[in-house]
Amino acid sequence: MKSQSVIHTFFKKYQRHLSKIALAASLISVSSSQLAVAATNPADPDKVLKWVFNVAETGFDPGAAKDLYSNGVNYVIFETLYSYDYLASPVKLIPRAAESMPEVSADAKTYTIKLKKGIYFTPDDAFNGKRRELTMADYIYTLKRLMDPKLSSPHSWLLSGKIVGLDELAELAKKTNKFNYDTKIAGLELVDKYTLRIHLTRPDFNLGLILAHNPTGAVAREVIEKYQDLQGQVMSHPVGTGPYMVALDEWVRGSKIILLANPDYRGDVWDFKGGASPEDQKIMAAMKGKRMPQIGRIEINVMIEDQSRWLAFQGGEIDIFELEGPLAPQALDSGKLKPALVKKGVQLSRIPDPETSIYYWNMQDPVWGGLSKEKIALRRSVALAHNIQEEIDIVYNGNAVKLDYPIPPGVVGYDANYKNSIQYNVAAANALLDKFGYKKGPDGFRTLPDGKPLEIRYTARSGAVGKLQTEVWKKTYNSIGINMKEDLVQFSEMLKAEKSCQLQTRNSPWIADYPDGDNFMQLYYGPNIGSTNNGCVKLPEYDKLYEESQKLPPGEERDALYHKMARIMEVNTAQMMGFARYRNMLAQARVIGYKKHPIIYGEWMFFDVEKSK
Amino acid sequence: MTAYILRRLWQMAPTMLGVILLVFFLFNWVGGDPAYILAGKMSNAAQIANIRTQLGIDQPYYVQLGIFIKQIVTFNFGTSWSTGEAISSIITTRLGPSLTVLVPLTILETLFAIALALGIAFKRGSLTDRSVMVACTVGMSISILVYIIVGQYFFAYKLGLFPVQGWGNSFAENLFKYSALPILIGLAVSVAPSLRLFRTFVLDEVNQDYVRTARAKGVSESRIKWVHVLRNASIPIITHVMSNLPALLVGSFLIERFFSIPGIGREVIAAVDSSDFPLIKAVTVYVAAATMLFNLLADLLYQAVDPRVQLK
Repeated sequence: MKSQSVIHTFFKKYQRHLSKIALAASLISVSSSQLAVAATNPADPDKVLKWVFNVAETGFDPGAAKDLYSNGVNYVIFETLYSYDYLASPVKLIPRAAESMPEVSADAKTYTIKLKKGIYFTPDDAFNGKRRELTMADYIYTLKRLMDPKLSSPHSWLLSGKIVGLDELAELAKKTNKFNYDTKIAGLELVDKYTLRIHLTRPDFNLGLILAHNPTGAVAREVIEKYQDLQGQVMSHPVGTGPYMVALDEWVRGSKIILLANPDYRGDVWDFKGGASPEDQKIMAAMKGKRMPQIGRIEINVMIEDQSRWLAFQGGEIDIFELEGPLAPQALDSGKLKPALVKKGVQLSRIPDPETSIYYWNMQDPVWGGLSKEKIALRRSVALAHNIQEEIDIVYNGNAVKLDYPIPPGVVGYDANYKNSIQYNVAAANALLDKFGYKKGPDGFRTLPDGKPLEIRYTARSGAVGKLQTEVWKKTYNSIGINMKEDLVQFSEMLKAEKSCQLQTRNSPWIADYPDGDNFMQLYYGPNIGSTNNGCVKLPEYDKLYEESQKLPPGEERDALYHKMARIMEVNTAQMMGFARYRNMLAQARVIGYKKHPIIYGEWMFFDVEKSK
Repeated sequence: MTAYILRRLWQMAPTMLGVILLVFFLFNWVGGDPAYILAGKMSNAAQIANIRTQLGIDQPYYVQLGIFIKQIVTFNFGTSWSTGEAISSIITTRLGPSLTVLVPLTILETLFAIALALGIAFKRGSLTDRSVMVACTVGMSISILVYIIVGQYFFAYKLGLFPVQGWGNSFAENLFKYSALPILIGLAVSVAPSLRLFRTFVLDEVNQDYVRTARAKGVSESRIKWVHVLRNASIPIITHVMSNLPALLVGSFLIERFFSIPGIGREVIAAVDSSDFPLIKAVTVYVAAATMLFNLLADLLYQAVDPRVQLK
């Protein structure tokens, strides 16, 4: 036992020195041409942050990775043109690699963007020993690459149909089996080395948000061409311009990722303005004026099991960790930290995720679908009978907030005062079914108005959460006499059935890709059936208003349209809003200035830690 | 001997073909369509079709089967559909951590179980024998999850004797620091069933005439136990140990998940979850091949420990 503890102490000590050696080595490894340039990154190698991922990373190609955790790392490696203010609420777009906010034409079809000068990629063999500056040509390459059929990027939708000439280039590539990156297209105009003008096929006020999304983080063509696999992906050799870089020699896939400060990163001064809340004020007092990033080394461990993360956090093995629903009761009491943790100096940052869990009833299903009165009554009665708060309490340990509006908190277009016209009322649900001829049989279950049996399938993903959801919904259906059968399936099979409108009903979550209401209102747009419109809703009145909303910038006029659209959904009860889960982040006392950002996952460049002892 | 080995190897071919067909049709039937996951949440039918083409799962089954057989013959299973990492790289890099835990565990478990079985079988019916049997029954009745959760909480978190989880960069660090608790927990779980089984093997021998004869000749109890009885009981013990060895290749996914060990077991579970066929197929085929090879090795060992056994 004693020897174990001695070994443990030895490794702890050794590890601290290793971090210094690693950063020093990374500085030394910079090629001779860089040696003339003093390291500009203000990060302190003695400041080590221990982070944890709940799920293993898939890889570090911003065009290919689609999981939250890989993209957290991608965010600090690959710089997007824009990003988000760390503290502003609702979220606010700010320049990142761009020099300033874009110049947008009056018709919102032309964006002119200027790039900061003097940004460099981290040194790599692909650059043949030369210092490689980031230019707008890299962004053109990056944007084109998202549409390359060979890559099959899960993010191609960001640009699909939007940029003049880009879709045609992609179509040509499908025919010739080669995407010609050298072909100039009218939509991506390289005005000069540092100026890009994007011409859109239709007005789009959200392009700035798209250009803040991880997949548009700049990659270098030389790197991609040198390291790509048969699918065109470069998942294990990330080379970017951001504040951190992956220590490839220490990377144990699916287990440990080490990020080191990029010595050549230019550094920023922390100057964010938060709200009047004590949390924001404390962060501003601690961080204002600091040169960022401050953390020199980030050690990310993958811990899949809740207990492992919780014990590791309590034992001081990790600095910040995400407290998910099943663990919430261990640390929280009515959304607040338990006194024992407060006493230890533990900090909590808690925000509702920019997401919505939607309950849908397939509008193309013979039982649920249609706009006749009895079909609307059937859907509405189920919506009335479901106790959302009870589902939150049972399935998520109270770790979610009920939503009334299709747009969740923290997203542009959210309306905290909106009240959904459908609220929990089992008696009204039963009365509605009685009125429209859904009679109860001798077995206690209702039949359809034509006397045929009414039996429905509730689908959920196999696993503990899916099982709990199924149980809660069984109770709902029993309360109104509808015979529900559970259907627990694999995720891929669920998606397959859903895309072809073959699922009857399920709880369908959606998290923001970009923090604008459009990302949520498009979920019910008819032409998106087979893509994101999982409930297969097709309401001409809604579609018309959605198309009008796309021509408007965020603001009162668009909000008024969104209100109308939300009411149309309620009248037809095509879907029902459910809830948004809270994201609870616990931080040790040594963490300074941390606040969970609703969109950015890897906020490592915005906060600080005390030096490791 | 050589002829025997060659004949046995040749006999493996139809078995392997059966495994290949079973794996192929099973996963195509129940495995789900990975294109829907890989396409991302904003996908449409055209993108999904494009991914299916890239993965080759839009090809007729006989073509896919032909590719699968070619992969086995060339030992090249391509890349993971989820991460793009080469399957060969996944297996070689993840097998090490799994073996770091499971090899010492298997050795310790076997040695402990043999020693204890010999000890208590010679005192059959005594208080010690009955106490150990009761303890084994109780131990076997408790789920491995309980051992892991309680062990991790008390020995790692409360007492601080081990790290709660983790994995390092050197073999020594991994073996002595990170694998120690998983091995101890694994030992607590696995030694009971082996002990009970080995005890029955030893009991079959202790009443044999040769034991009585040895005693009559004045051979020491220790020699009877460790030389005469153990040698005769070793054939079923070898069978048991050899049949368990292929399991080393699939790791212990629960231990790997809880202790954040980047082993093959954790990888296989993730692959099943994401319908990552190349990895699933590769691991299944390797385990099947290993099972057959270890069976052959067991047969060869029978002859080594008991010259009366003839290999035909």
